[in-house]
Amino acid sequence: MATSLARISRRGIAYALSSNLIRRSFAAEAVVLKTTEVPKPISEVTPSPDRVKWDYRGQRQIIPLGQWLPKVAVDAYVAPNVVLAGQVTVWDGSSVWNGAVLRGDLNKITLGFCSNVQERCVVHAAWSSPTGLPAETLIDRYVTVGAYSLLRSCTIEPECIIGQHSILMEGSLVETRSILEAGSVLPPGRRIPSGELWGGNPARFIRTLTNEETLEIPKLAVAINHLSGDYFSEYLPYSTVYLEVEKFKKSLGIAV
Amino acid sequence: MGTLGRVIYTVGNWIRGSGQALDRVGSRLQGSPYFHEHISRHRTLMNVFDKSPLVDKDVFVAPSASVIGDVQIGKGSSIWYGVVLRGDVNNISVGTGTNIQDNSLVHVAKTNISGNVKPTIIGDNVTVGHSAVIHGCTVEDDSFVGMGATLLDGVVVEKHAMVAAGALVLQNTRIPSGEVWGGNPAKFMRKLTDEEIEYISKSAENYINLAHIHAAENTKSFDQIEVERALRKKYANKDEDYDSMLGIVRETPASLVLPDNVLPEKTSVRVPTTHY
Repeated sequence: MATSLARISRRGIAYALSSNLIRRSFAAEAVVLKTTEVPKPISEVTPSPDRVKWDYRGQRQIIPLGQWLPKVAVDAYVAPNVVLAGQVTVWDGSSVWNGAVLRGDLNKITLGFCSNVQERCVVHAAWSSPTGLPAETLIDRYVTVGAYSLLRSCTIEPECIIGQHSILMEGSLVETRSILEAGSVLPPGRRIPSGELWGGNPARFIRTLTNEETLEIPKLAVAINHLSGDYFSEYLPYSTVYLEVEKFKKSLGIAV
Repeated sequence: MGTLGRVIYTVGNWIRGSGQALDRVGSRLQGSPYFHEHISRHRTLMNVFDKSPLVDKDVFVAPSASVIGDVQIGKGSSIWYGVVLRGDVNNISVGTGTNIQDNSLVHVAKTNISGNVKPTIIGDNVTVGHSAVIHGCTVEDDSFVGMGATLLDGVVVEKHAMVAAGALVLQNTRIPSGEVWGGNPAKFMRKLTDEEIEYISKSAENYINLAHIHAAENTKSFDQIEVERALRKKYANKDEDYDSMLGIVRETPASLVLPDNVLPEKTSVRVPTTHY
């Protein structure tokens, strides 16, 4: 009883302190929140008093690095949660779903026509690949990359399906019209021949695909393209958050 | 901005407001409720009760990451996009020069089936790959956790050890120094060569440099972003070599040039394994 009371009062005090600090610092500067922190002497950690703990802008979707600016086609759907950094090109009709991170800071990442990178994927590219070929990540047209996949410096040829939670390591090549089962791990430099179904950790051959299954692959990509159209129309090209920001600033007495 | 400018600005505001009103009408006709957009309330560094994260000033914490609770992060480390370091029930300490790559999760256990609860300790110069899940483990200095690996409670990854990509390392496994463990469940795969051990340290160093760039980019203010966007647009058509045969000297603006230590070095040494 006493401990919970102590905890509640501690929380109350902490809350009051932080909100006061926020008000004071917001009056001074609109963008950066300063919180005065007493540095606890734990080994070598020296925290900066200027570190922003909360930025009202959230995470930017498109992060240019130097001269590289991620390019998104006009009808491609990129969820607001996504982080595109560096040399990333998202071509027409493709979609990048929630929580994905496409980090083209070391090498190029291309997402081809009508392809989709589903939720929470991480697509990265290393500087060089063990195969000696260019280490850029190329996801060609009509490819479906399932949720939670990790792609690193791999090449995925047209019309493939990569199962959920799969891991494609550097230099791997998935040839056209093949399917990777969910949870498969492709070791560096692995090549999946055309028209086959592979799976497992490490990926092993399971069977060849029938012609009907092969025809289904681009249909899946197109279906997801239609789905992404619905999501795309939910977002206005300009958000209305600026009204909230202006209201917020006005309430704190900062010049808008 | 003069009176005319202010008038035009207000008219612009009215037009935007009516546009949004139209959108609201359309949404209501569609039957979907009007979605009210809020400012992002995502807190990068968040306290839980009285435990607050202690993050060194040199650390890059991506804005979409969440560092929650009792977490200490040493100098030069980087926490990449989408990472969750949840130190709510126990302590997490990340050393110096470590990088925890995108979408990873570091959590600690409060209770355990076996009963002994350990804080998560990640040493110096460790590379934790994309989407790794580290739960109540000790990862010692200069080791490498591959992408997509899942390290369950009580795992100890010794110095210079590597956990292969996609591995599932079961509870209380100890991964000895200089070895690669992988698979599901994780088993000994092979020993690391000296070159590979050296590359682990090199990769950590590369990430420190990369983190500086991302940190600089993510902390830019709105004005800076706009200025650079204009610069980039202007520079997109004609780069440095464009008119160089005419003798016209064009220089990339300094703010658009990436520092040299991030670009790949031209080495003639071919290493048989992957470069990070």
